[in-house]
Amino acid sequence: MNLPIESLNLTDPVNVSRRRFLAGTAVGALVLGFGLPLGSGRALAAAAATERGTQVPAFLEIRPDNTVRLLSPFMEGGQGTHTAMAQIVGEELDADPATFLVEAAPPGEAYVVLDNGMRITGGSMSVRLSYPTMRRLGALARAMMLQAGAEKLGVPVGELTTEPGKVVHAASGRTLTYGELAERAMDLPVPDPASVKLRDPSQFRWIGKPVKRVDAYDKSTGKALYSIDLKVDNMLHAAVQHAPRLGMTVGSLRNEEQVKAMKGVHSVHQLPGAVAVVAERWWHAKRAVEAIQVDWLEAGADSRLRSMPADFSSDAYVKRLAAEKGPARDAENEGDVAATLASAKTTLQATYHNQYLNHGQLEPPSALARFNPDGSLEVWLPNQAPDMFRADIAKRTGLDPARITLHSPLLGGFFGRHFLYESANPYPQAIALAKAVGRPVKLIWSREEEFVRDALRPIAAVNFRAALDSDGMPLAIEAVSATEGPTEALAGKQGEKIDPTALEGLAGKSYAIPNKRIAQIYVKGPAMLGYWRSVGNSLNDFFYEAFLDEIADKGGKDPYELRLHLLRDNPRLTTLLQAVGELSGGWKRGPFTAEDGSKRARGVAMASPFGTQTAVIAEVSIEHGQVKVHDIWQAIDPGSIVNPAIVQAQVSGAVALGLSQVLVEEAVYVDGKPRARNYDLYPILPPSRMARVHVRIVESGEKMGGIGEPPLPAVAPAVANAVARLTGQRIRSMPLSRYTFT
Amino acid sequence: MELRINQKTYQVDADADTPLLWVIRDDLGMTGTKYGCGLAQCGACSVLVDGNVVRSCVTPVAGVVGREVTTIEAIETDDVGKRVVATWVEHQVAQCGYCQSGQVMAATALLKNNPKPSNEQIEAAMVNLCRCGTYNAIQAAVHDLAGLSATKGEA
Amino acid sequence: MNNSRFARTAGWLAVPCLIAAGLLAWYVTREPVSPFESRQVAVADIDPALVARGEYVAPLSDCVACHSVPGGAPFAGGLEMATPLGAIHATNVTPDRETGIGNYSLAQFDRAVRHGVAPGGRRLYPAMPYPSYAKLSDDDVRALYAFFMKGVAPVKQANIPSDIPWPLNMRWPVALWNGVFTDSAPYVEKAGQDPLWNRGAYIVQGAGHCGSCHSPRGLAFNEKALDESGTPFLAGALLDGWYAPSLRNDHNTGLGRWTEPEIVQFLKTGRNQHAVVFGSMTEAFNNSTQFMNDEDLAAIARYLKSLPGDHQRDGTPWQYQSVAATKPNTPGAHTYETRCASCHGLDGKGQPEWMPPLAGATSALASENASAINITLNGSQRVVAAGVPDAYRMPAFREQLSDQQIAEVLTYVRSTWGNRSEAVDAKAVSKLREHTDPASSSPIILQMR
Repeated sequence: MNLPIESLNLTDPVNVSRRRFLAGTAVGALVLGFGLPLGSGRALAAAAATERGTQVPAFLEIRPDNTVRLLSPFMEGGQGTHTAMAQIVGEELDADPATFLVEAAPPGEAYVVLDNGMRITGGSMSVRLSYPTMRRLGALARAMMLQAGAEKLGVPVGELTTEPGKVVHAASGRTLTYGELAERAMDLPVPDPASVKLRDPSQFRWIGKPVKRVDAYDKSTGKALYSIDLKVDNMLHAAVQHAPRLGMTVGSLRNEEQVKAMKGVHSVHQLPGAVAVVAERWWHAKRAVEAIQVDWLEAGADSRLRSMPADFSSDAYVKRLAAEKGPARDAENEGDVAATLASAKTTLQATYHNQYLNHGQLEPPSALARFNPDGSLEVWLPNQAPDMFRADIAKRTGLDPARITLHSPLLGGFFGRHFLYESANPYPQAIALAKAVGRPVKLIWSREEEFVRDALRPIAAVNFRAALDSDGMPLAIEAVSATEGPTEALAGKQGEKIDPTALEGLAGKSYAIPNKRIAQIYVKGPAMLGYWRSVGNSLNDFFYEAFLDEIADKGGKDPYELRLHLLRDNPRLTTLLQAVGELSGGWKRGPFTAEDGSKRARGVAMASPFGTQTAVIAEVSIEHGQVKVHDIWQAIDPGSIVNPAIVQAQVSGAVALGLSQVLVEEAVYVDGKPRARNYDLYPILPPSRMARVHVRIVESGEKMGGIGEPPLPAVAPAVANAVARLTGQRIRSMPLSRYTFT
Repeated sequence: MELRINQKTYQVDADADTPLLWVIRDDLGMTGTKYGCGLAQCGACSVLVDGNVVRSCVTPVAGVVGREVTTIEAIETDDVGKRVVATWVEHQVAQCGYCQSGQVMAATALLKNNPKPSNEQIEAAMVNLCRCGTYNAIQAAVHDLAGLSATKGEA
Repeated sequence: MNNSRFARTAGWLAVPCLIAAGLLAWYVTREPVSPFESRQVAVADIDPALVARGEYVAPLSDCVACHSVPGGAPFAGGLEMATPLGAIHATNVTPDRETGIGNYSLAQFDRAVRHGVAPGGRRLYPAMPYPSYAKLSDDDVRALYAFFMKGVAPVKQANIPSDIPWPLNMRWPVALWNGVFTDSAPYVEKAGQDPLWNRGAYIVQGAGHCGSCHSPRGLAFNEKALDESGTPFLAGALLDGWYAPSLRNDHNTGLGRWTEPEIVQFLKTGRNQHAVVFGSMTEAFNNSTQFMNDEDLAAIARYLKSLPGDHQRDGTPWQYQSVAATKPNTPGAHTYETRCASCHGLDGKGQPEWMPPLAGATSALASENASAINITLNGSQRVVAAGVPDAYRMPAFREQLSDQQIAEVLTYVRSTWGNRSEAVDAKAVSKLREHTDPASSSPIILQMR
C-alpha cells in the first residue's frame, strides 16, 4: 500500500494525520500529548494545596470560547463518568455541562480524588467516592473566576455573582465570560478549600437531571477515537501470535525467513510467550504473524506467569471444585449453623457452579508506544488505573516515571477488562517492539489473540445447606464456596484476609436468617482470572438467590413473600422489593398464559453490590427449547443519583450483560486451550435475546452507591428462578444454553 | 486500484484480498469504521456499498472497485443518515460507543431502503452486537425514525 | 470426531465377524512378493537425488496427514482414528530402529506400503490406503523408502496400541478382505491415452488416493471401483460427516462446470471461482495437493475431466436464478440474510475466490447434506496456502444457531438461486452436532522435516 500518507494529509481532510491532531479535536489533543502546563508557575502554586482534588489548574482549562476542558480522574468506557464529572464540576463552577470537553487525566498525584486514596476507575466508585471532592473542585474554580472578575472589574468580589459561563456584576450590568477571565483566574492561588460554599442541592440545575452525554454525538458519528484508532507519525503496526497456552515460551521459529519475505513485513520478533510481526500495515502484520510456525516450549518452573497445563478442562475443573472438602475460612459465621442443621427436621442441600467468562469488550486490545528522541517514552493504551500502569511500565523499562507519558483514550467497552493484568495487556509488547525497531509501534491484538489471553471471570462451586423451621422458614443457611477470587489470582496467593471479591454476593446478604455461615475453600486454579462487571456478585448472587428460592419452595413459601418476610426489619430493602413488585404490575409468579399464548412465569432476586441495592423481576417463556426473557423489571436504590438518564442506560446495559451470562456465555477450556477464539463459538447476547427493561430509581438518600455494576447480579437468579417456576427444572449452573427445556 | 469512498476517488495499492475495513482504516485513515471480530460476527465494521450495508471486515477490497462506498465519516451528508445520527443523540444510545458506527450504518441502510419498516423488519435488520447492551435504546431510536411507537423497554 | 478420517475402518472391522474362519493360514500370514526382494539397498548408499524425489512423492501421497500430529515430531505417528470398536493410531514411520521403521528393508517397506503387510506377515488396517498405493510405481516406492530412511529424522516414540478388544483386534481376516477387494499390481499406462492423462490417472488412483474419500464404498467398506473402468469411481461419497463430492463430469455435483485450469488452481491455491476447499479436503490441500508441481496438477485435471458424468444421478443441470424481488419471508431466509449474506452474498454468488458461492455449490446441490451441515455447525479449518493461512475463514455456528435454525437456513440455501435439493431435517443437524467438534481457528501445520 504505497500511497504516501503524508501526501494524503495535505490534500485530503478525511485522513487522520498530525495536521488533524494539531487542529485539535478533543482526543486529538490528547494524542499530541500537549497537556496542561503542569510544570508552570500555576501548577507549582497549586501544588501548595494539600487536600485532595484542589489543584484546580491541573483539572481545568477554560478556553477563550468558553469551552471548559476538564481532565477527568476517571476513564470513560461507556458508563458515563465523563458526563457525570461535567455535571458535578459544572454544577459548582456554574458552567453548562454541554460546554465541557472531558478527557482522561494523565497519571499524577493531583488526580487522586477518591476517598480511599486510590486512582482507579472501577468498583463503581468514580462518582460515589469522588462526589464531594469534585463538587468542591468546581466551587474552587468558581471562586477563582469571581476573584479574577473582581480584579478585572475593580469591584469587591462580594458584589459579583455568576451565571452559567460568566461572572456578573449586577450593579453595573457588566459581565465577563469565564473564557475572558480564565487566564487571570488560573494564575491565582487556589482558595482555602474550607472557604467555598457548595450549592444547595435543591438548586441543582444539572446534578440529578438527565443531562445529555458529552460524548453522544462523537460516538454516533465515528469521531470518537479509541486506542485502536490512534496514529502518530512514522508509526509501524504490529500483530502477535500468542502461545496456545499461558506460560509457554518461544522455542524456535521454523519459517522466519519466509515470513520476513512476506509483503509489507518490516521485522519478526520473539517476545515472552509470543511472536510478533511489525509491518507497515496491520493487515500485513496479522497475516504474516499467523504464518509463523513456532515450536512452543512448555513453561519452565521459573515462569512468572501461571502455566496452563495441557490437560486442563474447565468441565473437569468444575467437578473438582464441587468435590473440594476444605479447609475453609469463614467470612460470616453467626449463630450455630452446625447445630441448627443437625437438629432441624427439614433441611436441604444443593451444589451450584458457574462458568468462566470472557470480557468480550468490542474493542480489541491495543497499545501505541513511542520513544522520543530524548529517550522518554509515550504510551497510549486502554487502562483503568493510569498511575499503576505507569509504575508498571517504569518497572519494566527501568525508566523514571517522570519520563513516561501515559495517555488514556476512550475505552471501547469496560467490564473490568482494563486492569493491570500481568499477561493480558498488549503494552509491554508494544513497548518492546517500539524499542526494537526504533520507531513508534501500534500493536493490535486480533480478536483471536485477545480471547486466548483475556483474564477470565472466576468460577466457583458452592455447596449450600439450609435448615427450615416447622413453619417452613429458614433457620440456617450455609454456603461453602470452592473458588479463587480475582484479587487472589492477581496476587497469586491467598491473602491474610479473605478476598472480598471471592465471596461478595454470598457474604453481605441482608436476609434475617438467624444462623448463617459463608465460607471459602481457596483453590488456586490454572486459569488467569480478572475482574468482570460486578465481580464476585456476578456469580455469587446467582447462587444465593437461586438457592433462596429452593428454600422457599421447600418451605412452601412464595419466594417474593419470603424475601419480604426476611427483610421485614429492613425498611430500605422492603421499599425496594415493593417498588419492583409494583413496577411489574404487582408480583405474579405464574405460570400464566400471556396474550400471545405463550406460557410464562416470573422470578425475583435481589442484590446489594457496591453500596447500591437492587431488586429484579424477570418474566420468561420457553421458545424452541431455550429460555426467552421477555421483561426485566429492576428497582435500584443507589442512595442518590447524578444523572437519571445514565442510570437508566447503565441498568439496561447491565441487564444485557446479566442476561448474556445466564443465557449464552461460557469460556470453555479443552486441552488447556479456549475452545472459542472469537464470537462465533463465544456468543454474546444478540439483540434478539434482549429483554424489555423497565427501571425504577429509588433514591433513599442513603450513602451514594455505584451504578455501573450493581444492576447486573440479580438478573441471572431472577431468570433462573422464573425458569424453575415455569419448567420445574431447577438449574444450578450457568449458562442455561447448556440445557434444553420443554 | 481505484476506490470510490464517500464520493471521493482514492488510489490505493492494496492486495486484492485485503479487507475493505483495513484499507479504510489504515490506508485512508478513516477510523470511524471499527474492527471488532474480523469474522462478520459483530457488525462494528458495517459500511454501505451501493446503499446496502456490508461488513467490511469480510469484504475483499477488490470486490468494491467500481462501487460507491459510504462510511460513517460521511453519514451526515446523507439526509437519512443525518436523521439517524440526530435520533441516536436524542435517544442517547451510545455507551462506550465502539459499535455505534456500525449500528448507525445498519439503521441508515435499513431506512434508506425502507423508510417505514415494520417491527419485524427492524429486528431483522438491526442485528449488530453491542456489548454495552444498548439494544433497547437502539430499538427505540429506530422505531422513532420509522414512525413506530416504542414497544420495547423504556430506554 | 471431526477429523477421524478413518471411520471407514468401521465397516471392514465388521468383516471378522462376518467371514467364517478356516481359510488357509498361509494365506493370511504370507508375505506378498516384492520386486525388491533381492535388491535391498544399504541406507548409507541412498542417492540424495532419490531422497529429494521421495520428498516429493511423500506429500503426493499425503503420508503426513496421518503419520504426524500437530506439534509432534514429523512422521512419529499418533493420529487417533476413532472407530466404533475402539481407537487406532497411526504408527511411527520415522527410521528409528526400535519404535519406527528403521529396520525395514526396501522389500518390507514395499510390502507395507503397497500391500498392507508389515514384517512378519501382520496385516495393516486398511486405514492405510494401500489399496490405492498398490498402484505406485517401483521407482516411487524406492524414492519413498529413500526419503523415509534418510530424509526423516529418527524419533523414538512408541506406537500406541489400539483400543480394539480381542477378538476383534485379530488382523488376519484383513488378508481375506485384501484378497477380495484389492488389486496389487502397479499402475499400467493405458494405451491410446496421452502421457498427461496417464500421469493423472496414476496420481489420482495411486499416490493421491482420491478414491479413499470420493469413491462410494460397498458393504465391506471397499471402494466400489478403483479406476475409471467402474462408473462408481470418484462418483462422490459420504465419509466421516463430510460428503466428498463427485470428481466426475457431473454438471451439478461434480466437476462438470470446472475447466482444467480451474481444477489446477483449486488444487494449487485451495480456491477458484467455484469453491474453496473445506472439510477433510482442507487437510488434503494443506498437506498434499498444493505441493504437487504444475505438470502433475495439469495431469490430474486432464484425467478427472475425462471421467464422464451421469445425468441420471446428477439431475437437471443447474442454472442460476435470481431471487424474486419480494424476498421470501421465511426463518431460513432471515437467518441467511443476517448470518450468511455478509460473505456469501444475498445473491448467493459469494465473493470468489475468497468466499465461495452457494449458488450452484456442489454441497448445496448434492442430495447428501452432510457437508453443508457440518461446515455450518463447525466452520472451516484454516486453509494454509504456500505457508500463509487464509484471510477469511468460515465461522462455526453451533453455539449460535439451533438444529432447527441450521436446518431452515440450509433448506433455504438448497432451494434458492436455482439450487434444487431436498430440505434439511433438524434431526440430521442434531446427529452431526453430536458427533463433530468445531474446527480450530488456529492454522494446523504438519511438519514434514
